[in-house]
Amino acid sequence: MSTFIRDFIEKEKINRRNFLFASAYGLGGVAALGALGPGMARAALTDPTIAWSYRNRTNPYWNEIVSGGEAFVQSLGMSKDALTHLINEGSSEKSLADVKAILAKTGGNLALAIDTNDAPNARPVVEAVVAANAYVSTLWNKTDDLHPWDFGDNYVSHMSWSDEGPAEETARILLEAMGGKGGVVHLGGIASNNPAIERLQGLKNALKDYPDVELLAAEPADWDTQKANQVMSAFLTRYGEEITGVHCANDTIAYGVLEALRAEGIEDMPIVSYDGNPQAVQLVADRKILATVFTNPHWGGGITASLAYHAAVGTFKPSEEPNEHREFYGPTIMVRPEDALEFKANYLDSVPTYDWTDFWGPSNGPIVYK
Amino acid sequence: MATLQSTTTVTTRARPRAAISRDALLKWAPLLVLLVLCAIFTLMEPRFLSIRNFARILIAASPALMVAVGVTFIIIMGSIDLSMEGTVSVCAVAFAFCFLWLGGTLASWAWLAIPFAMLVGGLLGFVNGLIHVRLKIPSFMASLAMGFVGTGLAMVMTGGDRIRIEDELFRSLLTERILGFPLMVYVAGLFLLLGWFIQTRTTLGRNFYAVGGGEDLAVASGLNVARVRVLGYTLAGVFFAVGALLAVGRIGIAETATGNNFMFISITAVVVGGTALWGGIGGVWNTLVGVLIVFVIDNGMVVIGLPGYVQDGVLGILVILAVILSTDRKSISFVK
Repeated sequence: MSTFIRDFIEKEKINRRNFLFASAYGLGGVAALGALGPGMARAALTDPTIAWSYRNRTNPYWNEIVSGGEAFVQSLGMSKDALTHLINEGSSEKSLADVKAILAKTGGNLALAIDTNDAPNARPVVEAVVAANAYVSTLWNKTDDLHPWDFGDNYVSHMSWSDEGPAEETARILLEAMGGKGGVVHLGGIASNNPAIERLQGLKNALKDYPDVELLAAEPADWDTQKANQVMSAFLTRYGEEITGVHCANDTIAYGVLEALRAEGIEDMPIVSYDGNPQAVQLVADRKILATVFTNPHWGGGITASLAYHAAVGTFKPSEEPNEHREFYGPTIMVRPEDALEFKANYLDSVPTYDWTDFWGPSNGPIVYK
Repeated sequence: MATLQSTTTVTTRARPRAAISRDALLKWAPLLVLLVLCAIFTLMEPRFLSIRNFARILIAASPALMVAVGVTFIIIMGSIDLSMEGTVSVCAVAFAFCFLWLGGTLASWAWLAIPFAMLVGGLLGFVNGLIHVRLKIPSFMASLAMGFVGTGLAMVMTGGDRIRIEDELFRSLLTERILGFPLMVYVAGLFLLLGWFIQTRTTLGRNFYAVGGGEDLAVASGLNVARVRVLGYTLAGVFFAVGALLAVGRIGIAETATGNNFMFISITAVVVGGTALWGGIGGVWNTLVGVLIVFVIDNGMVVIGLPGYVQDGVLGILVILAVILSTDRKSISFVK
């Protein structure tokens, strides 16, 4: 037994020594790059490693994002395994550590697409990438004072979505369907989530033009079907027939609302939703939901990787692009009953083949700061 | 031994002073809490007190009631089962796949999907019990881990997709009403009676109390405690499966998220209902009252129009209050 323990300790020592050597080597690499300095002539990279850093794949939304990244890599004639996955599991610290590790490993020969998990983490990530002369495009999270054009070519682009406008548009569809009068209830996402706040704000904006519609209540349903079902049931007790329309923060909430209404035998309540999940699109086609909004995460994931890659290999020079090509909103597609089936056939039943060098075609204008 | 003596003195001293016997008060305390809650909500919003609203509360409560009845047996034994979220998800998804594969309507052989789902639930519970007993892993850890395994399994089976069950006949659980209440409420009622029968009229049910009341004594009297435990977990698994079926009946969707939130709701309901976490006390009627308390609070808070951001906090405070009022804490000398 004691020899076993001794062996084990010995092994651990060796492992630790190897680890220290490796770390020193890695740090040395970074330092060497730093010594060359930001002033050196920056040549475009050849055959950079393409990496996507994100939360995890079990979340359907991120699964879509990353499948877009894989489609882009395949469009370059590589197998989809050529995409390096950096999975942060919702930890900003891990996200940054992963980026530093892969920069050391590739010596800066890297095209990185990343959601930095939270906004403050974007700056250290971008600075690490820029220091290593690699290229990065960010998605969703960054602080308002961080801009790609402040970092030359290496911070290629940032894409995000604003849900307020599209949510206002669905709200107008709803309010029109209600005949511009009556009472509307809103079932929201987790109260502190940004999309939840924006989607409720969209409804409030639209309501300003409809003075005869009363916002009866807005409750969080936590993006959860069963919670939404319960909240809607309770709304029916409190407001009964005063409710003449329902504004849902996303599709999973709408499913719960529809079932709560079905339990009461209510079939024709106007409902709008958000996200454009396949099942919701079908419900739009069946006119059970009046509208939902699709944000095309597949394209978003692919184009973010593509921008970083093509800037890295020198297809275009980011610093020569206008600001609206560096910071822009992602696409939103309104799905209505008239075009739901066509939309489903084009976007969901088979994923379209995108031209990954049409960087800004489907995008939605420059990001506006309030 | 010292503890035992001190508790006896406390109880004997307390008894003569109370106008109504303390035991009776404790027995009915959870029900009183429920009635007081209903009265408060009715005073604040008269629409709370209506058959239609009670039907809504019962629709929401039925799946959770089944899960809570299942875990009641385990808690009576002084153990805990935290595998319900995974088990409910797996049973829901297994049911949905089997149901669609066999024809997709109750009028065909697809009805076999119902016993199949219960079998899956029982099997998961059996494995859970075996891991706990054979590998001597505390029930807390064994069942929590099994729950994660279940959630993962459901994820693999569905690939993250939702499966819709559109069959009108199966959905009549929700859409058909007798005396104002949908069929699923009656189904839950029947299984509650079955739980009560198992608890009071079978050897297994009495053995749960024997194990929870004093495991050493039970072993000394020759009871095969390991067997009772494994059977308990299997039984709980079957009830989780019934909960899963009702959950699918309510929403018409089977997915990995079907099991979400059942852990907090069911454990809270059992404890609020007066079944003690240290075992030996309580039963399925307590659980019924506990589940109703939790769902009356849930529904009532929205009905009286309490803002969303204070609801979670209020729910937590009400749960603590309900536990204070409805459990006999004087008879125990320490809490772990």
